[in-house]
Amino acid sequence: MGRYLIKRSLTLILVLLGVSLLVFGFVRLIPGDPAVVMLGERATPESIERVRAQLGLDKPVYEQYLIFIANALRGDLGTSVLRQEPVTREILRRFPATIELAFGAMIVATFLGIPLGILSAVKRNSWFDASSMVVALTGVSMPIFWLGLMLIFLFAVTLHWLPSGARLDANAQYEPITNLVLLDSLLQANLALFAQGLRHLILPAVALATIPMAIIARMTRSSMLEVLNQDYVRTARAKGLKERSVILRHALRNALLPVITVVGLQVGILLSGAILTETVFSWPGIGRWLVDAIYARDYPIVQGVTLTIAIIFVLINLVVDILYTLVDPRVRLDA
Amino acid sequence: MQSHRLKLALPLAIFVALLVFAACSAPAAPPVVQTVVVEKVQTGAPVVQTQVVEKIQTSAPVVQTVVVQATAAPAQAPEAFVFGAQGEPVCLDPAVITDGISGRIINQVYEGLVKFDKDTTNPVPALAKSWTTSDDGKEWTFKLQEGVKFHDGTDFNADAVVKNFDYWGNTKNPQHDAQIKAGQTFEYYEAQFGGFDENSIIEKVEAVDPTTVKFTLRQPQGPFLNNLAMFVFVFASPTALEKYGVDTCKNPVGTGPYKFVEWKPNEQVTLDANADYWDKANAPKMNRVIVRNIPNNSARLLALAAGEINALEGMEPRDVAAIKDDPRFKLLLRPTNTTGYLAFNYNVKEFNDPKVRQAFAQAINKKAIVDALYGGTGLVAKELQPPSLWGYNPNITDWAYDTEAAKKLLADAGFANGLSEVTLNGKKVPLELWYMPVSRPYYPNPKDIGTAMAADLAKAGINVSLQTVDWATYLDRRAKGELPLYMLGWTGDNGDPDNFVCYFFCMSADDKPLSREGFVNDKELSDLLKKAASTIDKAERTKMYQESEQMLHDKILRVFIANNQPPLALGANVEGYIPNPTGTEYFNTVQVKAAQ
Repeated sequence: MGRYLIKRSLTLILVLLGVSLLVFGFVRLIPGDPAVVMLGERATPESIERVRAQLGLDKPVYEQYLIFIANALRGDLGTSVLRQEPVTREILRRFPATIELAFGAMIVATFLGIPLGILSAVKRNSWFDASSMVVALTGVSMPIFWLGLMLIFLFAVTLHWLPSGARLDANAQYEPITNLVLLDSLLQANLALFAQGLRHLILPAVALATIPMAIIARMTRSSMLEVLNQDYVRTARAKGLKERSVILRHALRNALLPVITVVGLQVGILLSGAILTETVFSWPGIGRWLVDAIYARDYPIVQGVTLTIAIIFVLINLVVDILYTLVDPRVRLDA
Repeated sequence: MQSHRLKLALPLAIFVALLVFAACSAPAAPPVVQTVVVEKVQTGAPVVQTQVVEKIQTSAPVVQTVVVQATAAPAQAPEAFVFGAQGEPVCLDPAVITDGISGRIINQVYEGLVKFDKDTTNPVPALAKSWTTSDDGKEWTFKLQEGVKFHDGTDFNADAVVKNFDYWGNTKNPQHDAQIKAGQTFEYYEAQFGGFDENSIIEKVEAVDPTTVKFTLRQPQGPFLNNLAMFVFVFASPTALEKYGVDTCKNPVGTGPYKFVEWKPNEQVTLDANADYWDKANAPKMNRVIVRNIPNNSARLLALAAGEINALEGMEPRDVAAIKDDPRFKLLLRPTNTTGYLAFNYNVKEFNDPKVRQAFAQAINKKAIVDALYGGTGLVAKELQPPSLWGYNPNITDWAYDTEAAKKLLADAGFANGLSEVTLNGKKVPLELWYMPVSRPYYPNPKDIGTAMAADLAKAGINVSLQTVDWATYLDRRAKGELPLYMLGWTGDNGDPDNFVCYFFCMSADDKPLSREGFVNDKELSDLLKKAASTIDKAERTKMYQESEQMLHDKILRVFIANNQPPLALGANVEGYIPNPTGTEYFNTVQVKAAQ
């Protein structure tokens, strides 16, 4: 296990170096210059030159890359072009909002998706099975943009049950500690703030959860169906165990293995989906920030955020691999 | 098999029915959501971008919710005015910004010597009570308001004015230098006053006494007062400037009716009423102003419908008509200050023939475009200046839309078989019409407008291929002169004609054609505009700018398509909102009444 972790960590460094090189290159391959975007219709060749020099974009690309890497190793991801803010500090400030959203969506997706999948498998070919799979299919095919706007229209505009966007009400008093609103409000024993944060989280979390939920439900269903046909399930039934116990203790535990992989892989979907969700729901997270930065050709932000997302993705994959051993003792993590 | 299919079909039907029911729970038609996928393909480049633009039509009036309170207490008037902005402010230090979203917030916190009056671009007194000009137009003396304090308690006086101008225009000023080193630019100061230090039109600014300030200019400047009224030339507390330096962006301290409370990135900026505001007659009417960042047009409109914001900017043209007839909203049109045009690149040989240009001018049916694609907020443009500017020439008759005449002009110019290829810098290239990938006030939906123009041109035998690329590249390639024919526009900065006409048609100091107007080489026009820029007498200037518009018309240097009056939507209970042509109004007159 120890050797395995060391080996994985070494690979991680290589992966991140590769990612940084790719991102650094790709941002610069996108046509268009940050200086031009900053100056807009008012850009003149002279003003563009001056701004480029100020941003250090007149240096050779390899030199810019080496500066970037050297600084990144010290935890400094540079300064944003448009607002001159330290990127590392801003990532730390904005990422909690995305984490909260992705976490909320993950909870919705797993806690609805897995039971839905189990029930569909157990009641195979029933009305329930058909309906839940239709819902799942719709979930996968529905654009987040459209779904988000429909949710706002129904729950915020028509029913007035939930707010249409943002993390908190415009007039809310909130002193961030970790920038995770729900956690902070609990730490501050402010239940009203917690409730408010939760109300704001529901719609975006549901919108973001639909695709992962659908995938998890379908995966759980097919995995359960496979397991339910296994000999040991038949044996368990033959032993006279209660159906409930057969399903939950014997079948589910084995069926969950592929589901965990899928759940782990959803992180990628959640982070990319967060970009759209954050735009529709005015959620002040990292996804929307990234989109704005791409349009503004704000290289340091694009590089920093992408690198951070890559780190998280790789780390989560590692966690998933370790989780395997806990769910299935037959799996050994050998170097 | 049969039964299995049925099993799937019924829930599907129920689910669809539920969706439809959900959407129809309002008594009227369901909202129509359109997804428009715009493919942006740059030929010859490896990048293909697909942008998905979502448009929602809220023609469906939402259920009118009546909140019945058990106690039946009278509704409380809201404490705050919440404005929904399209994006994030860049910085709240007026000296280093150009964007309107920052500008609108700055207008509430800071004040300058003069400001724009209500819904016009006429400068009226603000922190200056009155002023006089010397006969040669080189000396301006301003009398200042007395007893004014910045939000941090610092006195506002002539010294504060001098210190601010030094910060903006003196490259040796430590705060100025620090900003430049941090990558900022004092772009508007450079643009409006000709540069820094010795290059600036402003030679010196002196405090004559605590309430008198004297400007000495190197040469008279026609738009001087209009420049001073811009949201960038407003005064920050000298104490705060020294204390915060480059962090003034996040710590604005002015003299305005509202003072800064906090800026939550990507969420909102909060301002509170300034209880000690000097101008009691114009004291703020609300306790608080909140500017929320809601990037998506549809989501912003839904937030207004949900009552979470009181006003917004940035609407899809198709939403405008729906808002207009809905009693829950007020629709305001901003007086036009923006012109969309079709620009010729004069490095294209064919465009140097006035007959060819006239053929373009007569082939395009501007009125049909404005009627169909501007949501009722557009006006047909025949000049570069919008009609709200005083240099606009009311006597010009536009070229008539006439396909036959256009065909004949082309034939006369030697293109009897039509025009589909042009010569750019000596090379034969297909005739491309470039449309912008982004919506701007002057072209709310450039792709549709470009397509309509292309169809009109085709009828006259001009076959263009429509092209676009992402915004940064678009501006870049246009500045390099690589686009033969392109759509672009201009939104006025300071309400002065100079800012429209001279910006594009004054040649460089050594009389070289500039890239930004497509390399137009017209010294006669340039000389006239340069003369107008250094004249102070407004009547004389008016005549010169009107004459310049006549020249632009006669020579068809560009085809002007439309002016737009950008729409604003307000809740029905919002009063006193006066949209200014510059796009950045003052909120001290705005009041949100208790909901009916």
